[in-house]
Amino acid sequence: MGKRPPITNRVREYRERSGAMSQAALGEAIGVTRQTVIAIEQGRYSPSLESAFRIARLFGVGIEEVFGWEGE
Amino acid sequence: MSFREKSAWAMAVLLGAAGLYYLYIVRAASAAIGETAPPQIAILFVLLVVIGAVVVQTVLALSSPKAAGAPADERERIAGDRAGHWSGLLLATGVVCALGHFMAYGDGNALFHLIAASLIVAQILEYGLEIFLLRRSF
Repeated sequence: MGKRPPITNRVREYRERSGAMSQAALGEAIGVTRQTVIAIEQGRYSPSLESAFRIARLFGVGIEEVFGWEGE
Repeated sequence: MSFREKSAWAMAVLLGAAGLYYLYIVRAASAAIGETAPPQIAILFVLLVVIGAVVVQTVLALSSPKAAGAPADERERIAGDRAGHWSGLLLATGVVCALGHFMAYGDGNALFHLIAASLIVAQILEYGLEIFLLRRSF
Protein backbone atom coordinates (compact mmCIF):
# COMPACT_ATOMS: atom_id res chain seq x y z
CA MET A 1 0.00 0.00 0.00
CA GLY A 2 1.13 3.57 -0.66
CA LYS A 3 1.77 6.25 1.91
CA ARG A 4 -1.42 7.23 3.68
CA PRO A 5 -2.45 10.84 3.23
CA PRO A 6 -1.97 13.06 6.34
CA ILE A 7 -5.59 14.18 6.34
CA THR A 8 -7.90 12.60 8.91
CA ASN A 9 -11.67 12.60 8.72
CA ARG A 10 -14.82 11.82 10.63
CA VAL A 11 -16.92 10.97 7.59
CA ARG A 12 -17.98 7.58 8.91
CA GLU A 13 -19.01 9.08 12.25
CA TYR A 14 -21.11 11.79 10.61
CA ARG A 15 -22.58 9.33 8.10
CA GLU A 16 -23.70 6.98 10.86
CA ARG A 17 -25.07 9.93 12.83
CA SER A 18 -27.14 10.98 9.81
CA GLY A 19 -29.64 8.17 10.19
CA ALA A 20 -27.17 5.45 9.18
CA MET A 21 -26.77 6.79 5.65
CA SER A 22 -25.22 4.13 3.43
CA GLN A 23 -21.83 4.61 1.76
CA ALA A 24 -23.54 4.28 -1.62
CA ALA A 25 -26.04 7.03 -0.72
CA LEU A 26 -23.26 9.34 0.45
CA GLY A 27 -21.31 8.62 -2.73
CA GLU A 28 -24.32 9.39 -4.87
CA ALA A 29 -24.97 12.62 -2.98
CA ILE A 30 -21.46 13.96 -3.53
CA GLY A 31 -20.82 12.43 -6.97
CA VAL A 32 -18.31 9.67 -6.24
CA THR A 33 -18.49 5.88 -6.18
CA ARG A 34 -19.11 3.79 -3.06
CA GLN A 35 -15.51 2.55 -3.35
CA THR A 36 -14.24 6.12 -3.13
CA VAL A 37 -16.34 6.76 -0.01
CA ILE A 38 -14.84 3.59 1.51
CA ALA A 39 -11.31 4.80 0.60
CA ILE A 40 -12.02 8.20 2.20
CA GLU A 41 -13.40 6.65 5.40
CA GLN A 42 -10.42 4.31 5.67
CA GLY A 43 -8.02 7.24 5.20
CA ARG A 44 -6.62 5.79 1.96
CA TYR A 45 -7.70 8.75 -0.15
CA SER A 46 -7.99 12.48 0.52
CA PRO A 47 -10.97 13.86 -1.36
CA SER A 48 -10.73 16.97 -3.52
CA LEU A 49 -11.57 20.27 -1.85
CA GLU A 50 -14.87 20.31 -3.75
CA SER A 51 -15.86 16.86 -2.48
CA ALA A 52 -14.75 17.73 1.04
CA PHE A 53 -17.02 20.79 0.97
CA ARG A 54 -19.87 18.72 -0.46
CA ILE A 55 -19.52 16.20 2.37
CA ALA A 56 -19.40 18.88 5.05
CA ARG A 57 -22.37 20.74 3.58
CA LEU A 58 -24.34 17.51 3.34
CA PHE A 59 -23.86 16.95 7.06
CA GLY A 60 -24.59 20.62 7.79
CA VAL A 61 -21.23 21.33 9.46
CA GLY A 62 -18.04 23.21 8.62
CA ILE A 63 -15.29 21.48 6.67
CA GLU A 64 -12.94 21.52 9.72
CA GLU A 65 -15.49 19.57 11.70
CA VAL A 66 -15.18 16.68 9.27
CA PHE A 67 -11.57 16.93 8.06
CA GLY A 68 -8.39 17.58 10.00
CA TRP A 69 -4.62 17.27 9.82
CA GLU A 70 -2.96 14.22 11.32
CA GLY A 71 -1.77 14.86 14.90
CA GLU A 72 -3.82 18.01 15.41
CA MET B 1 -15.07 -3.93 -6.68
CA SER B 2 -15.99 -0.87 -8.75
CA PHE B 3 -17.18 -1.09 -12.35
CA ARG B 4 -13.92 0.42 -13.61
CA GLU B 5 -11.84 -2.10 -11.71
CA LYS B 6 -13.93 -4.98 -13.06
CA SER B 7 -13.59 -3.56 -16.56
CA ALA B 8 -9.80 -3.18 -16.15
CA TRP B 9 -9.48 -6.79 -14.93
CA ALA B 10 -11.55 -8.10 -17.82
CA MET B 11 -9.65 -6.10 -20.44
CA ALA B 12 -6.26 -7.01 -18.95
CA VAL B 13 -7.13 -10.72 -19.10
CA LEU B 14 -8.54 -10.40 -22.62
CA LEU B 15 -5.56 -8.46 -23.91
CA GLY B 16 -3.11 -10.77 -22.11
CA ALA B 17 -4.65 -13.84 -23.72
CA ALA B 18 -4.92 -12.19 -27.14
CA GLY B 19 -1.32 -10.94 -26.82
CA LEU B 20 -0.05 -14.46 -26.13
CA TYR B 21 -2.02 -15.70 -29.13
CA TYR B 22 -0.49 -12.93 -31.28
CA LEU B 23 3.01 -13.89 -30.10
CA TYR B 24 2.29 -17.53 -30.89
CA ILE B 25 0.99 -16.92 -34.44
CA VAL B 26 3.80 -14.52 -35.31
CA ARG B 27 6.45 -16.97 -34.07
CA ALA B 28 4.81 -19.94 -35.79
CA ALA B 29 4.33 -18.10 -39.11
CA SER B 30 7.86 -16.67 -39.01
CA ALA B 31 9.32 -20.13 -38.37
CA ALA B 32 7.25 -21.59 -41.24
CA ILE B 33 8.29 -19.03 -43.87
CA GLY B 34 11.86 -18.55 -42.66
CA GLU B 35 11.56 -14.77 -42.15
CA THR B 36 9.52 -12.36 -40.02
CA ALA B 37 5.80 -12.85 -40.66
CA PRO B 38 4.08 -10.03 -42.61
CA PRO B 39 1.84 -7.52 -40.72
CA GLN B 40 -1.35 -8.96 -42.29
CA ILE B 41 -1.14 -11.76 -39.74
CA ALA B 42 -2.21 -9.24 -37.08
CA ILE B 43 -5.69 -8.88 -38.62
CA LEU B 44 -6.97 -11.95 -36.77
CA PHE B 45 -5.57 -10.59 -33.51
CA VAL B 46 -7.25 -7.20 -34.02
CA LEU B 47 -10.59 -8.89 -34.81
CA LEU B 48 -10.25 -11.09 -31.71
CA VAL B 49 -9.55 -8.09 -29.46
CA VAL B 50 -12.32 -5.92 -30.92
CA ILE B 51 -14.98 -8.66 -30.71
CA GLY B 52 -13.75 -9.75 -27.26
CA ALA B 53 -13.80 -6.18 -25.96
CA VAL B 54 -17.33 -5.58 -27.25
CA VAL B 55 -18.56 -8.81 -25.63
CA VAL B 56 -16.79 -8.13 -22.31
CA GLN B 57 -17.97 -4.52 -22.08
CA THR B 58 -21.53 -5.48 -23.03
CA VAL B 59 -21.69 -8.19 -20.37
CA LEU B 60 -20.26 -5.82 -17.74
CA ALA B 61 -22.63 -3.02 -18.74
CA LEU B 62 -25.64 -5.34 -18.60
CA SER B 63 -24.62 -6.58 -15.15
CA SER B 64 -24.39 -3.03 -13.74
CA PRO B 65 -26.05 -0.58 -16.16
CA LYS B 66 -26.06 2.36 -13.74
CA ALA B 67 -22.34 2.16 -12.96
CA ALA B 68 -21.52 1.62 -16.63
CA GLY B 69 -23.22 4.88 -17.60
CA ALA B 70 -21.65 6.93 -14.82
CA PRO B 71 -18.52 8.97 -15.57
CA ALA B 72 -15.29 8.21 -13.70
CA ASP B 73 -15.17 9.90 -10.31
CA GLU B 74 -12.23 11.99 -9.08
CA ARG B 75 -10.26 9.07 -7.59
CA GLU B 76 -10.78 6.92 -10.70
CA ARG B 77 -9.66 9.81 -12.92
CA ILE B 78 -6.43 10.24 -10.92
CA ALA B 79 -5.74 6.48 -11.10
CA GLY B 80 -6.47 6.48 -14.85
CA ASP B 81 -4.23 9.51 -15.47
CA ARG B 82 -1.28 8.03 -13.56
CA ALA B 83 -1.67 4.63 -15.21
CA GLY B 84 -1.89 6.31 -18.62
CA HIS B 85 1.28 8.29 -17.92
CA TRP B 86 3.40 5.19 -17.19
CA SER B 87 1.76 3.25 -20.00
CA GLY B 88 2.60 6.06 -22.44
CA LEU B 89 6.23 6.04 -21.32
CA LEU B 90 6.44 2.29 -21.84
CA LEU B 91 4.88 2.58 -25.28
CA ALA B 92 7.33 5.32 -26.26
CA THR B 93 10.26 3.20 -25.04
CA GLY B 94 8.98 0.23 -27.03
CA VAL B 95 8.59 2.32 -30.18
CA VAL B 96 12.11 3.77 -29.85
CA CYS B 97 13.53 0.24 -29.37
CA ALA B 98 11.57 -0.98 -32.41
CA LEU B 99 12.94 1.89 -34.50
CA GLY B 100 16.44 1.06 -33.29
CA HIS B 101 15.89 -2.55 -34.37
CA PHE B 102 14.70 -1.32 -37.78
CA MET B 103 17.77 0.88 -38.18
CA ALA B 104 20.03 -2.06 -37.35
CA TYR B 105 18.31 -4.77 -39.38
CA GLY B 106 16.01 -2.96 -41.84
CA ASP B 107 13.21 -5.45 -41.17
CA GLY B 108 9.90 -3.61 -41.63
CA ASN B 109 7.83 -6.60 -40.62
CA ALA B 110 9.69 -6.86 -37.32
CA LEU B 111 9.18 -3.11 -36.82
CA PHE B 112 5.42 -3.60 -37.14
CA HIS B 113 5.31 -6.54 -34.72
CA LEU B 114 7.54 -4.82 -32.16
CA ILE B 115 5.36 -1.71 -32.17
CA ALA B 116 2.21 -3.85 -31.92
CA ALA B 117 3.76 -5.77 -29.01
CA SER B 118 4.70 -2.50 -27.29
CA LEU B 119 1.13 -1.31 -27.67
CA ILE B 120 -0.23 -4.54 -26.17
CA VAL B 121 2.19 -4.55 -23.23
CA ALA B 122 1.64 -0.83 -22.57
CA GLN B 123 -2.12 -1.33 -22.54
CA ILE B 124 -1.87 -4.29 -20.17
CA LEU B 125 0.39 -2.21 -17.91
CA GLU B 126 -2.20 0.58 -17.95
CA TYR B 127 -4.97 -1.76 -16.82
CA GLY B 128 -2.72 -3.35 -14.19
CA LEU B 129 -1.61 0.00 -12.78
CA GLU B 130 -5.19 1.26 -12.72
CA ILE B 131 -6.21 -1.75 -10.64
CA PHE B 132 -3.20 -1.29 -8.34
CA LEU B 133 -3.81 2.43 -7.85
CA LEU B 134 -7.52 1.96 -7.16
CA ARG B 135 -6.55 -0.37 -4.30
CA ARG B 136 -3.75 1.60 -2.69
CA SER B 137 -3.58 4.91 -0.79
CA PHE B 138 -2.95 8.12 -2.67
